Amino acid sequence: MEMRIAPQMSVMEKLKILADAAKYDVSCSSSGSSRKNDGTGIGNTVAAGICHSFAADGRCISLLKILFTNECVYDCRYCINRRSNDVPRASFTPDEVCNLTMEFYRRNYIEGLFLSSGILYSPNYTMELICETLHKLRTVHRFQGYIHVKAIPGADAALIQRAGFLADRMSVNLEMATAEGLKEMAPNKHRKNILKPMRQIQNGIAANQNELALYRHAPHFCEAGQSTQMVIGALPESDYQIMSVAENLYDKFSLKRVYYSAFVNVNEDKELPAAAGGPPLLREHRLYQADWLLRFYDFTVDELLTEERPNFNLAIDPKADWAVRHLELFPVEVNRADYRTLLRIPGVGVKSARRIVAARRFGNLTFDDLKKMGVVLKRALYFIICGGRMMYPTKIDEDYIVRNLIYQNQSGRGEKLPFMADGRVYRQMSLADYGALSG
Amino acid sequence: MEEKYIICEDSIEGIFTAVYDAYALREGHEHIHIQIGEEDNYRLFAVYLHSIADFGKTEKVIRTLRNRLGEEAYLQLCQAAASRDADKGEAVYRTVVDGITVGNGRRTMENLRNPHVAKCFELARRTANETHQEIEFLRFRELEQRILYARIGPQNNVLPFIMPHFADRLSTENFMIHDEGRGLFGVHQAGREWYLVSDMEDFPTESLKWSSDEEKYQELFCLFHRTIGIQERENRDLQRQMFPLRFREYTVEF
Repeated sequence: MEMRIAPQMSVMEKLKILADAAKYDVSCSSSGSSRKNDGTGIGNTVAAGICHSFAADGRCISLLKILFTNECVYDCRYCINRRSNDVPRASFTPDEVCNLTMEFYRRNYIEGLFLSSGILYSPNYTMELICETLHKLRTVHRFQGYIHVKAIPGADAALIQRAGFLADRMSVNLEMATAEGLKEMAPNKHRKNILKPMRQIQNGIAANQNELALYRHAPHFCEAGQSTQMVIGALPESDYQIMSVAENLYDKFSLKRVYYSAFVNVNEDKELPAAAGGPPLLREHRLYQADWLLRFYDFTVDELLTEERPNFNLAIDPKADWAVRHLELFPVEVNRADYRTLLRIPGVGVKSARRIVAARRFGNLTFDDLKKMGVVLKRALYFIICGGRMMYPTKIDEDYIVRNLIYQNQSGRGEKLPFMADGRVYRQMSLADYGALSG
Repeated sequence: MEEKYIICEDSIEGIFTAVYDAYALREGHEHIHIQIGEEDNYRLFAVYLHSIADFGKTEKVIRTLRNRLGEEAYLQLCQAAASRDADKGEAVYRTVVDGITVGNGRRTMENLRNPHVAKCFELARRTANETHQEIEFLRFRELEQRILYARIGPQNNVLPFIMPHFADRLSTENFMIHDEGRGLFGVHQAGREWYLVSDMEDFPTESLKWSSDEEKYQELFCLFHRTIGIQERENRDLQRQMFPLRFREYTVEF
């Protein structure tokens, strides 16, 4: 195979091609690792992560997200860089990547580097190039900011280990929720090749934590953990399948984050859904909301979805949806309920639940106090009592509450969606409908 | 008994000095108030006292706050005192009294039922949010001799809170952050401690000389910023919500 890298291509042209090729990767967070500067170079990391800009699609720009090369020997159907596509190809040199990262970082444009890559020649060859780049950045340039790097499935364990000691976060993309789906979409990738490095990174992090407990100055291995992403809506998987996989990844693989990526049919593949109204953004949004419920609100997937009800209600968020189906648990007295119960009230988040628990030591809270603490009363009011009273006289009735929540949404006063609601009309089934079904 | 108003200057030192002076009156706290800047509307039957920011008094107040209310509450009170709100002096003063006299100590800031604490909490949150936004959106430009320079125009006085972040991150760089609205400069020399400078009226904002590479990197970042967005997902409303317009004149990509 001959090298198709045009040596005279400028950094500007390369950046255009390789940022464009990297944009479908969702992860851009710079969180999870906290490191002070040691005085020998520039950079530090902040546990909460820092976004530096926002692109025209409203997604945050935290890291310099680029591919090392968009040459690829694979032919995955959903991917713009697949071998059979006729797109301009480019490759960076390690020095170019280092230089861009350092100069962008100094100017506070970025929080660090996100380096992914197409497969040039072989997984090992590519992974070695990536390692060399990171090594240079960390040792020659003494860069101490955030680095997120992809583990190339199929690369040697030793190379992945090496990258893990240079990066803050590593990720391997699961791509499809099911093994069959992956086989259909990415004929050159195998589920076990993806899970193997994922397991290796998990074990590496666990071993490293033991080392760090013994030796405080031991080198860190993927301090910010690992993440993965799944494409949503290219194949007919249900939300239940997707969320179950995510739950498994959190429990069994100790992942920090699972990302969901609404499918964009970049290759105009006729056999894949073209998505008439654009990518399924609302569905993606509901999956993220549910993901938060798993990670921070102590929910399990089986509480949110079942085999019989395998998809989220697009009209209201998963937490409100859960609450209206469990009205026997509500209303909750805010002044007495325990923290875990407070977390389950729609309109109460992790922060406001903590503030409620802390503030009610000093005396009973009123609705006004709750508002100041950040509770979204227009959602919470159906589910709480405060000092023995509800905010307004309201019916504890599923249809009634759902209607009101949706009415708020449609009139623009309710749930703040990050995009225009898709105009779908949600209709509660009436008795007449049941009659029609049985008749 | 007549009301007493202590007039102080608009700074963290000014407010803490006024708190010291209020305690020094030894008249209880019921009829004493703290007001920032010049009184615009004199009240009848009220006494106005002027307080001049004093380093020693500020130190004493800070020490007391840290010991009695803890680091967390101390930071929040500083953030509230740096807010642009006109009534912040009174809110900070009442919160300190609540914490020390009533004896809520380290739990002082959790008592959100108290309106003054709630106000301090709200002001501190706004300052903290804007601090975070400046840390995100501030852009350095490179001057000749590799010195980095950034302009900001925050609503609250966030410069003292963003300097530690950049001093740690860019420990080996010489940089300067200029709060245009307040005429305040945060200065950092490689390997040294950072400091604030206020009287630099002759600073040549208009005639700064950029380094030869500066334009190239601005162009590269603009290109990256344009390229990384997914066309099929375009959403300018979300972008505006996340990146408010008032920060954009200080960036390079908009």
